[in-house]
Amino acid sequence: MDLAFSGWSGILILAMYGLIMLGVGVVTYLRNRHIHQSLDEYYLGGRGLGVMVLFFTFFATQYSGNTVVGYPPSAYRMGYEYLVSVPFFITIIMAYLLFAPRLYRLGKKYRLVTPAQWFEKRYKSKAVTILASLLMLYGLGNYLLEQLVAIGQGVSGLTGGTIPYQVGVVFFVIIMVIYGWLGGMRSVAYTDTMQGIALLFGVFMLLIGSIVYFGGLPTSADYMQAYSPEKLGVPDGPGVMNWFSLLVMIGIGAAVYPHAIQRIFAAKSERTLKRSFSRMAWMPFLTAGVVFIIGIIGINAYPGLTEGESEQLVGMMASAVASQNVIFYWAMVLLFGGVIAAIVSTADSVLLTFSSIISNDLYGSYINPDASEKKKLLVGKMVGLVAVGILILVAWFPPGTLYQIFVLKFELLVQIAPGLIIGLYWNRLHTKAVFAGMLVGTIIASSMTLFGLSYFGIANGLWGLLVNIGICVVGSLVMTVSVVEEKEAKQVIGM
Amino acid sequence: MGSEKREPIKNPRIWIILGILLAMITPWYFPASFGEILVYGVPLWAVIIVLSSLLLSAYLSYVLKYHWMLEEDEEEAEQKGAK
Repeated sequence: MDLAFSGWSGILILAMYGLIMLGVGVVTYLRNRHIHQSLDEYYLGGRGLGVMVLFFTFFATQYSGNTVVGYPPSAYRMGYEYLVSVPFFITIIMAYLLFAPRLYRLGKKYRLVTPAQWFEKRYKSKAVTILASLLMLYGLGNYLLEQLVAIGQGVSGLTGGTIPYQVGVVFFVIIMVIYGWLGGMRSVAYTDTMQGIALLFGVFMLLIGSIVYFGGLPTSADYMQAYSPEKLGVPDGPGVMNWFSLLVMIGIGAAVYPHAIQRIFAAKSERTLKRSFSRMAWMPFLTAGVVFIIGIIGINAYPGLTEGESEQLVGMMASAVASQNVIFYWAMVLLFGGVIAAIVSTADSVLLTFSSIISNDLYGSYINPDASEKKKLLVGKMVGLVAVGILILVAWFPPGTLYQIFVLKFELLVQIAPGLIIGLYWNRLHTKAVFAGMLVGTIIASSMTLFGLSYFGIANGLWGLLVNIGICVVGSLVMTVSVVEEKEAKQVIGM
Repeated sequence: MGSEKREPIKNPRIWIILGILLAMITPWYFPASFGEILVYGVPLWAVIIVLSSLLLSAYLSYVLKYHWMLEEDEEEAEQKGAK
């Protein structure tokens, strides 16, 4: 996106954000020197995150720069039907109620560090744990790739091309890796807090500026009544279907993201976790709701944009707002810096969880279980670094064919949900059924995506998930679980 | 509040209410005319969806606070002991 107001002030604000993030890393390192000997300390911040920090780090896993830049264009094109973006963030909290209370308790009891470790504890099967770990690593890798591409585009857009895409990516990746290595989860969570505040401030300034400059919702409604009444109308049959499937899909999907699950383990106490969730339940109105209104104002401000042009909507509105006065100018520069910071904050969480699965589950459990925690940490950090290097290369030289395999993320990540959630409650859930369900669900979801198939407007990941759940349940009913196994499961769950 | 353990998933009443709220935040029950009536520039159906969403957030906050009690008492006792 090209911004009229960007250039040197954009570079200045990015350098400032970069320095603050590094500063957070250094301070965290100096205050917590002992964390590099322990997986618990490094990956979970010593299980001591308080309400505010935990809240902002959950916030960063759910809201990224994409929420600010990508949602208003959707609202612009779909009108009020895109209001669904507010409640679908609330259903994530509803999905947490299904498993977070018990998972927090078990995480504390067994000192769990990663979601994959829960699979190991519950099913005691190498096959299940490794498959779940690989699915998570693959999904997280692609998620990270998407963020890296977004950082590069954001930086080159904000600085009006003064800083090229590649330089932007490398600059922020180096900063992210340094503060991540210095302070682990603590650094990540503290920077998430700073990034979240910058983003919220910028979005509110954009809303105020847009209302002052373009007029509020009534002005926009007058325009829609005259030229596009369908954007005000009640959604029709397929619209309602799509609305409902988004509520379910986003609710479950975002709740079982591995980096989101890991934050449950990082909470200082049950009370802290509950309070953070409770705040999260109100955030959709302040974030998704605000950017939705900005998109609706855009309908009147810039009528008749094509789909491609509408993707630039936020940049256009911010440029117009910035040209009003010096306060709005700097607020908009801050906003776009905040957008990039928010993408970095999503990327750092993903990278940390990626490394933790390598350290704790693949290397630490199977390759070299006798290694010291320090060594496990080092291997996790190194493999994470190599993975980032490969992803940067992919982002630079996108392969012409097979690009689809880099798109799979939700489709894969959601397949761990049945084993994870049903396993918390049902002692008779059969290990082989979990493995088969996860494998078949993955194959169905990914081949539907690769071959571009779609049925009844329901997402591919959801089809895979339905088959996956079916296999888990029916398989467990058909195969007998030995009395010993059932007893063991009961003991592990222990409730 | 007592020391009894509470887990949201074990309480069917919570899920019935959440089911009703989920139905309320899905726009299947509005007559077409609700798209023409505007309240400060917002269509009436959208106003009802936003109000229902607020209701859902409020109910979730209530459930989180009062119906999830697995570790809290013990953790608080531990904390007091540590001081």
